[in-house]
Amino acid sequence: MNMDNNEFNEFDRKIIHIYDSKIVRLLKKLGYLVIVIFLAIYLLTGIYIVGPDEVGMIKLFGEFVRQVPPGIHYHIPYPFETVIKPKITEVRRVEIGFRTLSTDPIPRYQYFPEESLMLTGDENIVDCQYTVQYRISEPYLFLFRVKDVDSTVKKVAESALREIVGKKDIDEVLTSGKTEIQDETRALIQSILDRYEAGVQIIAVQLQDVQPPEEVVSAFKDVASAREDKVRFVNEAEGYRSEVIPNARGQAEQIIKEAEAWQEKVVKEAEGDTSRFLQVLQEYILNKEVTRTRLYLETIQKAFPLVQKYLIDSSTASQDILKLLPLTGKDGSAVVY
Amino acid sequence: MILIIIILILISITKPWFTLDETEQGVILQFGKPIAVVQKSGLHLKLPYPLQVIYVFEKRILDYDSPPEEVITEDKKTLVIDNYVRWRIVDPLRFLQTVVTEASAMVRIDDIIYSELRVEIGRIPLFDLISIERRQVMDTVTANSNRKASAFGIEIIDVGIKRADLPKQNEEAVFQRMKTERERQAKQYRSEGQEEAIKLRAETDKEKTLILAEAEKQAKIIRGQGEAAALRIYADAFKQDPEFYAFQKTLETYEKTFNNKDILIMTPDTEFLHYLFKSNQEIEE
Repeated sequence: MNMDNNEFNEFDRKIIHIYDSKIVRLLKKLGYLVIVIFLAIYLLTGIYIVGPDEVGMIKLFGEFVRQVPPGIHYHIPYPFETVIKPKITEVRRVEIGFRTLSTDPIPRYQYFPEESLMLTGDENIVDCQYTVQYRISEPYLFLFRVKDVDSTVKKVAESALREIVGKKDIDEVLTSGKTEIQDETRALIQSILDRYEAGVQIIAVQLQDVQPPEEVVSAFKDVASAREDKVRFVNEAEGYRSEVIPNARGQAEQIIKEAEAWQEKVVKEAEGDTSRFLQVLQEYILNKEVTRTRLYLETIQKAFPLVQKYLIDSSTASQDILKLLPLTGKDGSAVVY
Repeated sequence: MILIIIILILISITKPWFTLDETEQGVILQFGKPIAVVQKSGLHLKLPYPLQVIYVFEKRILDYDSPPEEVITEDKKTLVIDNYVRWRIVDPLRFLQTVVTEASAMVRIDDIIYSELRVEIGRIPLFDLISIERRQVMDTVTANSNRKASAFGIEIIDVGIKRADLPKQNEEAVFQRMKTERERQAKQYRSEGQEEAIKLRAETDKEKTLILAEAEKQAKIIRGQGEAAALRIYADAFKQDPEFYAFQKTLETYEKTFNNKDILIMTPDTEFLHYLFKSNQEIEE
């Protein structure tokens, strides 16, 4: 029995040993495989893509080491190297004095008067809503020099515009000076941000809406309409002029023409009258006495029937006339011959 | 093998290293005593916790936006100033020894800036501050505050006035002034328009009168010429026999002047009655 047992045990042990070593080897192989796979996957996490609008900024243990252009790249996996991909072509935009709430279907805005009301150089208050557009020019500076560049840009812009507007008169701000203000503000923002080394480039400062504050806007509008009124008054006067002057010239022409006509007329009359006289005269010369008497009597014939006739003695005429007084007719006319 | 694993585990627990980001800087303390300032970013070695600890601070330029406060200008006007401060931790060791955190640093900065701002603005009339001297004032404030802030390991890079507005009640006064100013302008434009219009009308009327007067003058000259011509024509004709003209004209006048209201008183001597009162003999004489 004992011997049997021993034999069996020995046999058993051999078999177990064989199986044992096989399993161990298999497990070892599997283990390596798993390690290799995990290692491979780990190493693959180092692959990254930089988009066409981005730039890749690689940090090794937090320290910036290199900058890579768009494309597929590889870095040593976490926790050794990490990548930050700022969008450098993107135009960033900050709105001051208003916020666009939605653009679709109709634009809706919210207004912030505390941002947009500012003092001008001539002690007026003006309402300026504007936007600032900028983009990253130096990714290294943008990421690592200034904390929260976007809010920095906004604050600097507010400060800069107020400084520039503070140097202008309100009329300049409202009308002619806009482009100048935009340019000067842009330059000022840029110079301040350059001092911070913020790594951004200001593309444009755009004044969206510049107007007098709500409280006084009607007074400003009235000035505009007063300016229109001024032009209108002058135009009306011009109109009056262009009506009156030609009219007067016409009248003048009329007066002259009438005079000319009158001149012609009197000359013609004179010619007519004299021609008649001369013709009568020719006849008169031929028979002076007869013609004279005839003309005289004809006239007496026509004129005398009309009048009342009184006869008085010529020697006592002066007394007799008194007896006839009053001599007047109804209208008081009297003739003494 | 097991030893290596144990060592690795021990190392990863105690972490005898630290990393600093590009935006960070740090101070190493050994048993609470600062021994080194590290400003270079990347991987650094240190003794494991709790032998050495690292305090990390921001290296970038930071923002402090203080709430608006009222300040009084040289001409005793109140102005609401809303400003911002750009600052940075330049000496992390001193920063750690004095203020420790960014939040408490900002309290100090606020104190410094506002006392400096009050002093500077108090020297300048309101509208000089708004228009001409804003930049100088802010530069002075920046320089002075920077001197004070350096005690905390802080550099003040820039103090900017974000907003400088009048308090509400003063704002009303400005609006009133703006309104009256504009009303004056509107009146001026209108009356200027009236002025020009009246001038133009007067000029027009004058011109009209002149044109008509000139025409009247011309007309009179022409009429005169006509009269003269007529007179000459009459004279030329009548002087051929003035006596006959007088006779004929007289007769014509009788005919025209006598009418039925007239009374004619005659004496017998009248030529017309010649034949009525004289004898034939007398007539023949």
